[in-house]
Amino acid sequence: MKVVTGIPVLDDMVEEIPEGKVLTYWIDPEVEGNVFAMQTLFTNLESGCKCAYFTLTLSPEVVLSEFEEFGWVVGSYENFTLVDLYSPYVGMPSTCSLNADPSNRDAVDSLVKKTIRENDLVVIPISSMIDVCGEEVAELLGEWCETAANSGSRLVFTFVSWPYPGNVKKMVANRSNAIVKVGGVHHRVILGYYYGLVKVDWKNIKSRAILFKLVRPGGVRAYIPKILVTGPYNAGKSTFVHAVSTRAISVDRLGTTVALDHGHLEYRGFSIDLFGTPGQERFDPILRMLGKEALGVILVVDSTKPETFPRAKQMLEEVAHFGLPYVVAANKQDLPDALSPEEIRKRMFLPEDVPVIPVSAIKGEGVYRVIDALLELLTGSWQVSGDEFEIPA
Amino acid sequence: MSQMMCRILPEVELKKGSNIMVYGPTFSGKSIFVRSLFRDLTSEGYGGIYVLTRDSAESFIEWLGEYYDPEKIKIIDCVTKSMLGNARDTDSIKRETVMDLTGISAKISKFFEEFWRSGVRDVVLVFDSLSTILMYMNLQTVFRFLHILTGRVKMTGAIAFYIVEEGMHDEKTIVTLKQLFSGMIEFKEENGRKYVRFVSPFKKTEWSEIAVDENAVVVV
Repeated sequence: MKVVTGIPVLDDMVEEIPEGKVLTYWIDPEVEGNVFAMQTLFTNLESGCKCAYFTLTLSPEVVLSEFEEFGWVVGSYENFTLVDLYSPYVGMPSTCSLNADPSNRDAVDSLVKKTIRENDLVVIPISSMIDVCGEEVAELLGEWCETAANSGSRLVFTFVSWPYPGNVKKMVANRSNAIVKVGGVHHRVILGYYYGLVKVDWKNIKSRAILFKLVRPGGVRAYIPKILVTGPYNAGKSTFVHAVSTRAISVDRLGTTVALDHGHLEYRGFSIDLFGTPGQERFDPILRMLGKEALGVILVVDSTKPETFPRAKQMLEEVAHFGLPYVVAANKQDLPDALSPEEIRKRMFLPEDVPVIPVSAIKGEGVYRVIDALLELLTGSWQVSGDEFEIPA
Repeated sequence: MSQMMCRILPEVELKKGSNIMVYGPTFSGKSIFVRSLFRDLTSEGYGGIYVLTRDSAESFIEWLGEYYDPEKIKIIDCVTKSMLGNARDTDSIKRETVMDLTGISAKISKFFEEFWRSGVRDVVLVFDSLSTILMYMNLQTVFRFLHILTGRVKMTGAIAFYIVEEGMHDEKTIVTLKQLFSGMIEFKEENGRKYVRFVSPFKKTEWSEIAVDENAVVVV
């Protein structure tokens, strides 16, 4: 029986979770990442797999209602088993036939093994298990993985990466055949959420990050990040969007943009949508509307026209309201009277940590450095890397 | 800072990014103090996030009365869901359970994002109370959770208050928790009189006598 992740794009990459393998959702503590495992379980439940789900921090009733919030009525499936380690922990009678007191390590160990042997897919919240049963429980992972390998089952772990000791994280990472990082795009607050494959030992795959939203009902939905390109009239926004995009379209009238520029860019593993706004003040409502959805801002200024800088600052203030990171593209650097990026920074009173990148959009020079600088500003945490995991060779 | 805070602890100026422990025995007035502070600050324009582990969202809203504004006040109710499994969330009220620290953390983070994106930069967070969480989860787990949460408060420049009941935890627990906080508002009761003071590594105020009713704390 083919078992899949049920997560958009991820299934295109890994194809399936083969028998005996362990896939771990490695979750940022401030992100609702458990939904990934719930979606994986429900997808396979629907296709007839025998699936089991362990709960330690939520009562069985709450677990079922959380599934239902996403439209997944798991309780009505005969091939679904809920294993309750919560009720015995809080001293309540369990409504599940499979239950154990998590303070009894041997009971937990034998219940987990039995569940693995009897199911095609088992979801275990490893971090909750560590929180409730103690860090020693991580030492049992090897035997559970072995049980899965011997019985042809698959394990899905959820691991919320609280600041556990390094050896605990390493133990979980080393026992995982595949790791999917579920994280946040950190700025002063978390501006968006992403997932990406960090490790997989059954396929040779180049990783990429996918932004997602949670939809109730529906679950994990991938979406494409929006970058706002703004700036005064005739600063070269449309030229910039066209120069950097693999495909782009502008809504123009009499040679200037009157609605939107839209460009799409595939770059460094990301799919990015660029939205350019018209520079005239009467279009500022569009700026505000797009600012609510965007992840970052590129402010394009005409380096030869310092008289437009006050308007550029005004536009920046409009989007600063949304607290987004921004980069300044100092355009038209190919013209003889262009001001240097440092001069522009000075005249616009820009803080030192705001990148001002010299660009000639018409020649296509420096445009990707602007995208690089913006991606860098999104703290790098958005980029999926395996550094955290000390992946064995 | 709120007028009440200025009256009760006039020498104390809480900087943005502060994480403050509110500590004292049961019925010493700390919960009313924090609620009143929260009500005052949200009335003054702060965005407010209130995490409840002992009362339902509905009873807190009733206490707030006319001051309740769902645009400015976001509530994480960790009581109702464990009693009524199907209690529904709204835009400003999210239901979690006390043991689901990931859920609580994610919801707080989401509210921070909403305030940030809507241009609200001054935010007050109240955790009422940590003691309930410590009844269910071990100290190490709660410490890890708070490590992330206090870090986020510093990053966003919010001000956060965490209520801890005196007498419910051993000394090691209190000492461990104190490491995470930038200061403490301490309450005590002696001979039927109530007092409050502020303590931080840099400042220690004198005890001030206070009177507490169900709506506010005042200096005697």
